[in-house]
Amino acid sequence: MKPNPKNFRVDAAEKLHGKTQYIRDEKIEGLWYGATIRSPYPRARIKDIQFNPDFDWDTVTVVTAKDILNNYVSMLENDMPFLADKITNYYGEAIVILAGPKKDNLDEAKKHIKIQFEELPAILDMLESETSDVKIFGTNNLFKDILIKNGDLEVAKKEADEIVHIEVRTGFQEQMYMEPQGIVALPEKDRVVIRGSIQCPYYVKGALDTMFDGKKEITVIHVPTGGAFGGKEDYPSIIAGHAALLAVKSGHPVAFFFDREEDIQFTTKRHPSYHNDTAYVTKDGKILGLDIQMVLDSGAYCTLSQVVLARAALTASNCYYIPNIRIRAKAVATNIVPPGAFRGFGGPQAVFAIEMLIEKIANQLDLSPVDVRRKNLIGLGQQTPTGQILKYSVSGKETFEDVLERSDFEIKYLDFKKNNIPILEKLSKGEYPKQKRSDVLRGIGIAPSQHGAGFTGTGENVIKGKIRVEINKNGQPVIYSAQTEMGQGEVTAFQIILSEALQIRRDDVIVAEVNTDFVPNSGPTVASRSTMVVGSLLVDAANEIIREFQNRLKENGKIDFEYRQGYFYSGEKIISFKETAKMYSDLKVEKQYEHPPIIQFDDVKWKGDAYPTYSWAAAVAEVEVDPVTFEIKVTKFYTTHEIGKAINYDQAVAQIQGGSLQGIGYALYENIRAENGKFNVQGFSDYIIPTTTEMPDFEVSILENPYPFGPFGAKGLGELPLVGAAPAVVSALWMIFGREFNEIPVLPEDVFSLFY
Amino acid sequence: MKIVLIVNRKPYKINVEPKRRLLDILRDDLNFIGTKEGCGKGECGACTVLLNGRRVNSCLVPAFQLEGSTVITVEGLRNWKVFKPIERAFIENGAVQCGFCFPGFVISTVSFLKEKSSPVTLDKIKTAFGGNICRCTGYTKILAAIQELADQKDIIDQIQEDWKNEFNARK
Ligand code: FES
Ligand code: FES
Repeated sequence: MKPNPKNFRVDAAEKLHGKTQYIRDEKIEGLWYGATIRSPYPRARIKDIQFNPDFDWDTVTVVTAKDILNNYVSMLENDMPFLADKITNYYGEAIVILAGPKKDNLDEAKKHIKIQFEELPAILDMLESETSDVKIFGTNNLFKDILIKNGDLEVAKKEADEIVHIEVRTGFQEQMYMEPQGIVALPEKDRVVIRGSIQCPYYVKGALDTMFDGKKEITVIHVPTGGAFGGKEDYPSIIAGHAALLAVKSGHPVAFFFDREEDIQFTTKRHPSYHNDTAYVTKDGKILGLDIQMVLDSGAYCTLSQVVLARAALTASNCYYIPNIRIRAKAVATNIVPPGAFRGFGGPQAVFAIEMLIEKIANQLDLSPVDVRRKNLIGLGQQTPTGQILKYSVSGKETFEDVLERSDFEIKYLDFKKNNIPILEKLSKGEYPKQKRSDVLRGIGIAPSQHGAGFTGTGENVIKGKIRVEINKNGQPVIYSAQTEMGQGEVTAFQIILSEALQIRRDDVIVAEVNTDFVPNSGPTVASRSTMVVGSLLVDAANEIIREFQNRLKENGKIDFEYRQGYFYSGEKIISFKETAKMYSDLKVEKQYEHPPIIQFDDVKWKGDAYPTYSWAAAVAEVEVDPVTFEIKVTKFYTTHEIGKAINYDQAVAQIQGGSLQGIGYALYENIRAENGKFNVQGFSDYIIPTTTEMPDFEVSILENPYPFGPFGAKGLGELPLVGAAPAVVSALWMIFGREFNEIPVLPEDVFSLFY
Repeated sequence: MKIVLIVNRKPYKINVEPKRRLLDILRDDLNFIGTKEGCGKGECGACTVLLNGRRVNSCLVPAFQLEGSTVITVEGLRNWKVFKPIERAFIENGAVQCGFCFPGFVISTVSFLKEKSSPVTLDKIKTAFGGNICRCTGYTKILAAIQELADQKDIIDQIQEDWKNEFNARK
């Protein structure tokens, strides 16, 4: 593998200068601010809303459910209202929204609105949802119920030497993008323009088209976005709706700028999960069968939970070949803030669960956790639980062996065990465990992971993403796509892909602003799909541009032109791409995506190619646990990723470092619970995300194994780094303590309770 | 209340609520939008500025403490000679992603390099930047850029000189 030369990001300088304008940085004439009155109960009937006549209601604009034509956010189930009408289903659900030019007057107005509630029984525990008398969704509170089967579990049961069982739980995780949610709605005559910190402008447009029942034209414009990680995928549709309603009613531009507390309390998070898994194994650790049951706490409304569940279920066997498997997965309703998209999208929960099961197999059978993994890793030609035969670009084994070797895993494993013996002995005898500062417990853990790139199942064929490349009058190609830059480096990557396919300078490629009036819908910027799926369209467009230019040159001069390294040649004639492009600057090329026909999926029977391809990774975490304070720290983190081909090597490494640290946070620090339906955190001081003091030293390596349908072989990357980090960290804790860890986050008190 | 403060070398006479935050004065009243708000509670470092030569979270400083103060934001740093190499180090190390934390990091970098006395270790940098949170990058590339800067004598000298020009000129 040879790293590409560094491809410096095109957006870095502006950001360093503080010149990049995020939505709060825009000066908008006559801007009003929005505010929200929310439900103080997890579930309640709204009996009455009273507006105290002592307040001058002409100074603000108020909107309630009855002002809304179609009061539901257009998403998978259309079950979530913009504003609760008769019943409110979670603590913090919006009931009344208001806007005005002055923030303090808005606060005053809020005090003069009294809502009468009748509190209703609520579902606060996901495991009680399905059987509860309280009905939040349908007859059984199931947003989705998935059954995937392959092989025959009975055979596995018969042949197994050992049965291993584990229950696993994972908690909420907050995206904690540095820039909180921010949206502005600008009213025009028959139109509303939305500007904001948005991951998927066409989602917002769809939601507002529906809300206004087509009676307003909707334009959505993406503004530089200060991180999203899934948190600005589905949620902005809600506040864009709120802002638009208030803007239309008041005639003023209206902003919803959440502060950190409002953001962390009321916006989407990663779904908490519960897993009840059984493995049927031989005594040397070969897994013959797996019986997996998982539940995702999906909150009060469906949002994207059905697809999150699908990805979790389809990732349940991680990188392993399991001949006999049954996966039962349910997304259940509770009276809690609806979770939504977060980098990994169900994958981190599923991978954590099976990796803990693997640890338990090793522990119960007294085998090395490395060997158990190695014995079961999937390879080329083998089947996934949906019967998908892996035909290309499979690197589960290669990434695993690479990271083992680079980290000196086997040697450290033994050294650390030796180091820990006296400390653990003292601890279990109740003696003070520390003689010198360096007396810390050391652990090393490993976990492989994978991520299906692109939409799940038939998703890409449903959305049929479209892009356009136009040649401008300076002879530069301009990319029109709906993919958004949130920090991940999309703009730079697109410039690289198109410029390399056209063999021209990167700076000569322009990426147009994402404005739904001008860019075609190339699909949302999610699911690690932009580079692989939309990037492949860019290469197609480049080829067509070259062909088209050749045709036109031929028409002109009646001779054939060859294209090489940015020049068209014919005999003695030579003309550069740019000169040609200037001559034919009217050229527009459109490309639409469809899966290559060899990729087939049946989403009723859950059979076939669940994803067009997978990216692969394996991580090793070195962990220190202080035997007195039980503080846990990851000191070194090795990870090997195989992503087909790194389009921007340096920024691929950057994605891997950032995503891994989010996964480490998920494992050890990021703790948020709903207490009686209300989240128990307010900001960075009680929801701890890793700072420079928590970061490990990263050792990243990228392997290449091209995917035949990706641009230059590239597959998806964005989410994968987060997926396998937490299990690698917790694997190290199993190694230190030889005890079961089955829940994240693992906090010092959890380790403490092993001894006291 | 009426206060006078100097922001990026220019004096401003403003009339403000005593409790108005320096962050709001900078962003809303004086239009220095480079300074960002990530939490409003002194927990994230996105709003870091130099106040009388010390780095502070501008979301925590009320107007009544500001009379006669000197503030440098990222807009002011752009004019320092040393800004170019700092910018280059962050770009060439691939440190920037969404960028929202960066004005804060840039200010903290200048302040850190100015205070630097002995050779800088990675651990020292980690401790010094614990108050600047970044959710995107995993910090590695940011710290590599800072380390690279700290290791160059001419950059440290340049910072001292720029600093003198900025602060001492007025004393
Ligand atoms: S905004 Fe001031 S520290 Fe976060
Ligand atoms: S680059 Fe996004 S928060 Fe630091």
